[in-house]
Amino acid sequence: MADKEATVYVIDLGESMADCHNGRNESNLDFGMRYIWDKISTTVAASRKTWNVGVVGLNTDETNNNENREEYQGYENISVLKELGPMTMTSLRVLKSKIEPSSTSSADAISAIVVALRMIQTFTKKLKYKRKIIVVTNGESPIDDDQSEEVANMLNDVGIELIVLGVDFDDAEYGFKEEDKPRHKEQNEKILKTLVDHCESGAFGTMAQAVEELATPRIKSVRPFKAYDGPLTLGDPQKYPSALSIQVERYFKTKRATPPSASNVANPNGPPQTQVWDEDHGVPFSGVGFQPVKQLRTYRIEDSKAAGGKKDVDMEDLAKAYQYGRTVVPFGKSEEDYLKYETTKSFTIIGFVPMSSYEPFLNMGETGLIVAQKVNEEAELGLSALIHALHELESYAVARYVNKDKAPPQILLLKPNPAIEDDIECLYDIPLPFAEDVRSYQFPPLDKVLTITGNVLTEHRLLPNNDLQQAMSDYVDAMDLTEYGQDDDGHPAEYAPVDDLYNPVIHHMNQAIRNRAVNPDAPLPPVAEILTRFTHPPEPLIAKAKTEIDGLIKAAEVKKVPPKVQGKRGRKDTVKPLSGLDIDALLGETRPRTKKTPIISTENAIPEFKQILETAEDDETIETAAKQMGNIICKLVSDSFADVLYPRAAENLRVMREELINMEVPTLYNKYITKLKESLLSGNLNGDRREMWFRWIVGGRLGLITQDESEVSEVSEKEAKAFLK
Amino acid sequence: MSWRKDEDERLDGDEGDEELDENDYKTQKDAVLFAIDVSKSMLKPPQTTGDKKADKDSALTAALTCAYQIMQQRIISQPRDMMGVLLFGTEKSKFRDDSGSGTGYPHCYLLSDLDIPGAEDVKKLKALVEDGEDEDEIMVPSKEPVIMSNMLFCANQVFTTNAANFGSRRLFIVTDNDDPHAGDKQAKSSAAVRAKDLYDLGVVIELFPISREDKKFDLSKFYDDIIYRDPAAEAGQSEGPKTSKSGDGLTLLNSLISNINSKQTPKRSYFSNLPFELAPGLTISIKGYMPLTRQTPTRSCYVYEGEEQAQVVQSETAQVDFAARTVEKSELRKGYKFGGEHICFKPEELAELKQMGKKTLRIIGFKKRSKIPSWASVKKSIFIFPSEEQYVGSTRVFSALWQKLLKDDKVGIAWFVARENAHPVMVAIFPSGNPDDEEANTPYLPAGLWLYPLPFADDVRSVDHVTAPPRPADELTDQMRQVIQNLQLPKAMYDPRRYPNPSLQWHYKILQAKALDEETPDAIDDLTLPKYRQIDKRVGGYLAEWKEMLAKKANDLQNTRAFKREFEEDDERPAKRAKPSKKAASGGGGPANSNADLKKAFEQGTLGKMTVAELKDIMASKGISTAGRKAELAERLEQWVEENL
Repeated sequence: MADKEATVYVIDLGESMADCHNGRNESNLDFGMRYIWDKISTTVAASRKTWNVGVVGLNTDETNNNENREEYQGYENISVLKELGPMTMTSLRVLKSKIEPSSTSSADAISAIVVALRMIQTFTKKLKYKRKIIVVTNGESPIDDDQSEEVANMLNDVGIELIVLGVDFDDAEYGFKEEDKPRHKEQNEKILKTLVDHCESGAFGTMAQAVEELATPRIKSVRPFKAYDGPLTLGDPQKYPSALSIQVERYFKTKRATPPSASNVANPNGPPQTQVWDEDHGVPFSGVGFQPVKQLRTYRIEDSKAAGGKKDVDMEDLAKAYQYGRTVVPFGKSEEDYLKYETTKSFTIIGFVPMSSYEPFLNMGETGLIVAQKVNEEAELGLSALIHALHELESYAVARYVNKDKAPPQILLLKPNPAIEDDIECLYDIPLPFAEDVRSYQFPPLDKVLTITGNVLTEHRLLPNNDLQQAMSDYVDAMDLTEYGQDDDGHPAEYAPVDDLYNPVIHHMNQAIRNRAVNPDAPLPPVAEILTRFTHPPEPLIAKAKTEIDGLIKAAEVKKVPPKVQGKRGRKDTVKPLSGLDIDALLGETRPRTKKTPIISTENAIPEFKQILETAEDDETIETAAKQMGNIICKLVSDSFADVLYPRAAENLRVMREELINMEVPTLYNKYITKLKESLLSGNLNGDRREMWFRWIVGGRLGLITQDESEVSEVSEKEAKAFLK
Repeated sequence: MSWRKDEDERLDGDEGDEELDENDYKTQKDAVLFAIDVSKSMLKPPQTTGDKKADKDSALTAALTCAYQIMQQRIISQPRDMMGVLLFGTEKSKFRDDSGSGTGYPHCYLLSDLDIPGAEDVKKLKALVEDGEDEDEIMVPSKEPVIMSNMLFCANQVFTTNAANFGSRRLFIVTDNDDPHAGDKQAKSSAAVRAKDLYDLGVVIELFPISREDKKFDLSKFYDDIIYRDPAAEAGQSEGPKTSKSGDGLTLLNSLISNINSKQTPKRSYFSNLPFELAPGLTISIKGYMPLTRQTPTRSCYVYEGEEQAQVVQSETAQVDFAARTVEKSELRKGYKFGGEHICFKPEELAELKQMGKKTLRIIGFKKRSKIPSWASVKKSIFIFPSEEQYVGSTRVFSALWQKLLKDDKVGIAWFVARENAHPVMVAIFPSGNPDDEEANTPYLPAGLWLYPLPFADDVRSVDHVTAPPRPADELTDQMRQVIQNLQLPKAMYDPRRYPNPSLQWHYKILQAKALDEETPDAIDDLTLPKYRQIDKRVGGYLAEWKEMLAKKANDLQNTRAFKREFEEDDERPAKRAKPSKKAASGGGGPANSNADLKKAFEQGTLGKMTVAELKDIMASKGISTAGRKAELAERLEQWVEENL
């Protein structure tokens, strides 16, 4: 819930705003509008009814404002282009058509401010609003400063913030001074500056700075959300009088921000007649035409009696169920509650651990922040004592947290912050894993090599030698960022702290959406430099650390594996069991086969196929084996009741593909898969086998073997893609 | 179960519409077939030693109990994976439906076929294990020895048909016989050939030998011809099988469970062959894993109970516009809501928008570990490990980096794009120490590097409205130190293995009870609850003193504040009404600011005279809900004042 806002933009549309100045190749107006469109489109994007925008044109050819009555003077050539009110796409379009340079330059900027002031006054009455007037001008038209003090007082009375942004105004702080500035402009700048200085809240600056700052992403502020309000206990106060209970409040400290999400939309008039994707046909990509579509859910069960093997069922006839392994267990509404573990809202400390025993990579998610309940001296002092004691002892607390009744318990690690990291005293909390969340994956040690026979090696090609270790150490030290950055005063500071890390996707998308709204025809904007700052190490640092980098590369001796070596052909070292038994010889004995007619059985197809290829000595054998494998695959598909045997057929196909790549005979496979595709899609394999094609072959990426995968293949990436369509 | 297919194939559901990469070519599912030896020695009860803690289980019971427990565990933690139990050496033979003696695999008894375990499988094992029921007389050893090659081929067929394209397939052999074909060279050779078949099929054999009465299990007699270790895979991975036995205070069952558990979970990679740009011009390849993942109950589904058996319903969605016209897929556009309309992009533009560079892990520099703010957490970390597949030498370079980071307490800072089209994140690279070290912080996690996602500035919530001014440490702090020092967790660390998730356990307990038609339990042992009695015993005295001290101090503080407030009020012009300053609305505004005023206003009944904006400001600063009309607001505030001041 954000505050209500009323903002009026005063835009100078005078003759001279059409000129290009100061080496820019866009007009003064376009330059200034970059800022204003950005602000206005941000307001549109938020689509809040309580954010009101008005626009006043200064130096318009016409005059259209409420102050221009007979008794007053000096309100000519000022027009209200948009009355105060919420901003929509429609009003944005209307406004856009009105922003054109005029052929006058005689209107008074302060009068325009008064117009804006009255608009706000009338609109907001005495209610609570954030009131703001933003003036964009090049200060070329004459200003009468007789009443500027009076105007400033009025602005202060109503509580309006005045921001004046001048095109090519001088700004010593930003470091800009226009050469050869006309006298009258210099004077006008002074008048406006004095006016702003009189305002209680106001800002005066040059446009260039404002435009530059647009690149800095604006972070959407979110009102703090209280996730918990209640006691933090140590011991059980219900049972033990000694137990401790401190009233605390918990807020979110971090919460992942997400990029804007798109919804499915369509044109309600059905597909347009013209080719939508055609560049030449206007811009059918945004606009009033598109409407959101809804999802209509239908439920079906398999039913052999129904047409197509499936039957529609009504939502009302369905029961909710949970799965216990493959068994489906239906639960009625009343029973379902029973699945929920009964808990009551509580936050209680289980025990304490030394900081040194904790590893950050155990964190399971977002951080919370715990402070004492407000206006509660006991809680304030109590929590403070806990925070300081934890900090002094270099300890963390581990607590069980149930944010409301019936919620699942979580384990939180509580870290003390005696006003060091944020300047408030608080505990940070971080969720920890449960037993079930830990997968025990086994990996070999990184600092030694264990051999099969149980020996421990400390020197091995997989282990770094002293040279490499030293080179790595030098490199890591040389690339230290701890003091590589600079703070505002130019002192060494941490490089890339969290404050400087903007989510590139969020900000780039927001910018692209705003751009498209204002300029539907424009291409996508490039990714702002500020968003890609940290994708690479800083150039100067690389230059400085060149010696260390070169040293590391030399000591590392890393070699890229050339793709060809992956082929197996001609490689004689076959796999052996632990005992080193010559299994090939055994195979030769137990499965005697004449060279030219190897026989592959359906049930043991994969091992036999592999074994034949392993010992194959000529292309003919490979060809015969592949042919047999191919027949087996076809047979599996045509024997399959529905899709029962598809996984097996697909696995055989996968092995065949892999092995034929290894044997460097991709053509054999490519010929086969082309034929198989035909059979599957034409229904030659005992019925409709399209699912085998789409789900298992296309989905499993078992299409043509390309040149990338095997050098001898003649199929290009493009052909392979087309083949799968 | 196609209703969940999508989730199945996407490992990390966090990130919306990511494309699948090479890991997903094969389904990342796991199938484990237990092959348990039924023989006289396996059935023999252990010698009675008179010790109450001594083993009472026969090796066979221990093996079956182990399978039973692991099955229950897998239903919770790996609900998509398959498991089966094959007994060998039994008098009876059974393979699939062709019961009786006519099977091709004599003395092999397929107790439960390889499948996602269901209630019946659990029941069957439970009956054998807990109730000792063996009505079908399955657990009767055969008179003639089983032919091992038959057993291996039987397993081969089980895998070929039921788990044809599973990424991970393993045969767990549990036996106490190290020489099933003593002296029969022919039989040994046949077994070796069938083992090679399994190897070529992609099935890994894991042996869990049982040694009894201190007889050594000699692998060289038979099993060294059966077991393969891929020398090209991860070197050092090839530790020989660990023998299970009872003794040293450990029952055979526990020993077996611990050995099997260490092999139980299939390693699933989150990404593989990701280029790791360690320095400009130096790239190695890595694989990524997620050893820490929140386990949640499987989602509910809908069933149709109309027919004799409940059937899972498949749901289909169609897109319709407001006139209920079905919209074809080709007409759909992705629209971003903007000022009451939708802004659309062409598909290729959408792809370009999300593309932020190729998939990579690129180090941009290093920092001291302490530079990572202690609150900077948003998401679980990913474990990475080197792979030699793309770059020879990756492992040694990785190891050098790991050792350096460990030694100097440093972290790498890196730009990380996990997959093509994945959202980029900045990560800190933390090292994890050797799990076998005496003082390891994480003995349950492997040694390697972790990608710890750093929050973006966008993810940090502002907290400036909450005020807790820092205060100096005092006697209260000193006393609290006693409490903390006396309540250390065991081994002075948080070990997640000690804390099963109570709501998850409860969910499956209830589900299991209903699935097996058992009585529903009243409660479970919730290990996350603090040991209240112990706390009282250890620090109750300190706490009582501390509380007394606190009450006094709080009282003093209250008085000081009240005094200060009065003083300030006298000093200032008396404000006509409690007009909140801008500062109070946006931040600041200590608790002392308005409480006295509030109380006064409440007592005088003038709370209702404030404007809505003023009420809301005050209430927001107190953390009271600010929803509703003015009358409701005033009432809520009055209630709060009454309760709290």
